[in-house]
Amino acid sequence: MRHTHSHGVRSIDHLAYTSGMSGWNPAFKTVLALGTLVICLAADRATVSAAVILALAALQKWKGGLALHDYGGLLRVPLAFLLLGSAAVACDLSSVPAGDWSLSLHWFYLCASADSVRFALALVLKSLGAVSALYLLALTTSACEFVGVLRRAHLPGLLTELMYLIYRFVFVLLDTHGRMREAAGARLGWRDFRTSCRSFGGTAAGLLLVALRKSRTYYDAMAARGYDGGLCFLEEDKPWRRAQAAGMAAFWAALIALRIIAT
Amino acid sequence: MTQKQRKLVRLTACAALMCSALPMAGAMHIMEGFLPPSMCILWGVIALPFLLAGYFSLKRTVAHDRRSITLIAMAGAFIFVISSLKIPSVTGSCSHMTGTGLGAILFGPSAVSILGVIVLLFQAILLAHGGLTTLGANTFSMAIAGPFVSYGIYKLCHKLKVNKLVSVFLAAALGDLLTYCVTSVQLAVAYPSATGGVLGSVIEFLGVFAPTQLPLAVVEGVLTVIIVIALESYARPELRAIGFEEA
Repeated sequence: MRHTHSHGVRSIDHLAYTSGMSGWNPAFKTVLALGTLVICLAADRATVSAAVILALAALQKWKGGLALHDYGGLLRVPLAFLLLGSAAVACDLSSVPAGDWSLSLHWFYLCASADSVRFALALVLKSLGAVSALYLLALTTSACEFVGVLRRAHLPGLLTELMYLIYRFVFVLLDTHGRMREAAGARLGWRDFRTSCRSFGGTAAGLLLVALRKSRTYYDAMAARGYDGGLCFLEEDKPWRRAQAAGMAAFWAALIALRIIAT
Repeated sequence: MTQKQRKLVRLTACAALMCSALPMAGAMHIMEGFLPPSMCILWGVIALPFLLAGYFSLKRTVAHDRRSITLIAMAGAFIFVISSLKIPSVTGSCSHMTGTGLGAILFGPSAVSILGVIVLLFQAILLAHGGLTTLGANTFSMAIAGPFVSYGIYKLCHKLKVNKLVSVFLAAALGDLLTYCVTSVQLAVAYPSATGGVLGSVIEFLGVFAPTQLPLAVVEGVLTVIIVIALESYARPELRAIGFEEA
């Protein structure tokens, strides 16, 4: 499963559970990821973004035990959006030729200047830096632990409870849907576009039915086990380590220093 | 019984908003880090009143009927799963359904914003679609604007006595298109074009995403109609239970 490059729900969840950094304190990882994210966005310098990308890739490789090949594959997930979005940022529409390059498209000109291209490239780099920071959280911390961090940050109990339930139900439904998909495939349900649309609609409708039915069963099951409005889970004790906190401070200090040098 | 049904509808409505949030998995989630910090905060603040209203409505529903919690959670999970599925595609590219229209039609848009934000958060950390800093902007386009418009169109068509399947198609397809337009405006406000200003930039962003989003909106509309047909054939009691009224 790990080596497939599909970015399915299961693969990121699987990586989070098997990561070498899964033993770190989840609150620490959240602080580290969010802090790095904010520094990367606020600094807004290509050098800082590049440093974040390289440092976090190294961390995932050496501490997380994640193959760089897999990590690279995951970084390509947002690529389609980044390429299209930055193309729109780099180019400009104009009725007369402008900038350093112009392409005549009959009704108007598509223009780009060296500055705008440089700006768009810096934007891609910044976004990849931010995605790396997001991955530091997503690929090392299970969603359950992350919700636990939110709970400790005093997010309303109703929301964390919903998150716990949704997270678990997602896998139940994915499993059910996988079987429906296979069953449809065994009947040549994905043969062509028309049949696929029909099978897709049928499985989605079936899935909603199963979801509604299961929701009743699950409430009864929870109530039978003493559910009274609070879900409590055993959590492993994962203490903060001083060395990790020092490393985080040094990393942030280095990034800020880089930002000051790169003015 | 009617009171109960209304509650269920409300709960499911939350799910609908969620749907809208999850859907545009491919190209239209604004990626982490793509918006400058000021824009992240601005869109977060704009989304906040909707989220608060959604939260209070959700709280009322759950306080009234504790059982609804698993139903709401299931609706959320359903929206997440639907939006993570690859849809049949003519070109062979990997695209996802948004579920905005379906969710809004099935569950109603009222408390859905809050489910939308949860689904978007999970999409960010489980699917790497969207991000934490762009959560506000994505919530506004996918969990608030899209579902409300879908639902409005559906209701309007109902009043005008348009054929039900046509109104389902219009609600899903136009809700999808609106999400894409709102996202383009969000991007354009953040990165106005040098010569054309914000308006010129809106056109550019609409233009680059149009080739993927326009066919997707049509496919989404068609698939939503197929799902509704299937549900009406096999699941009338369930549809009634979640408050989806029969024409």
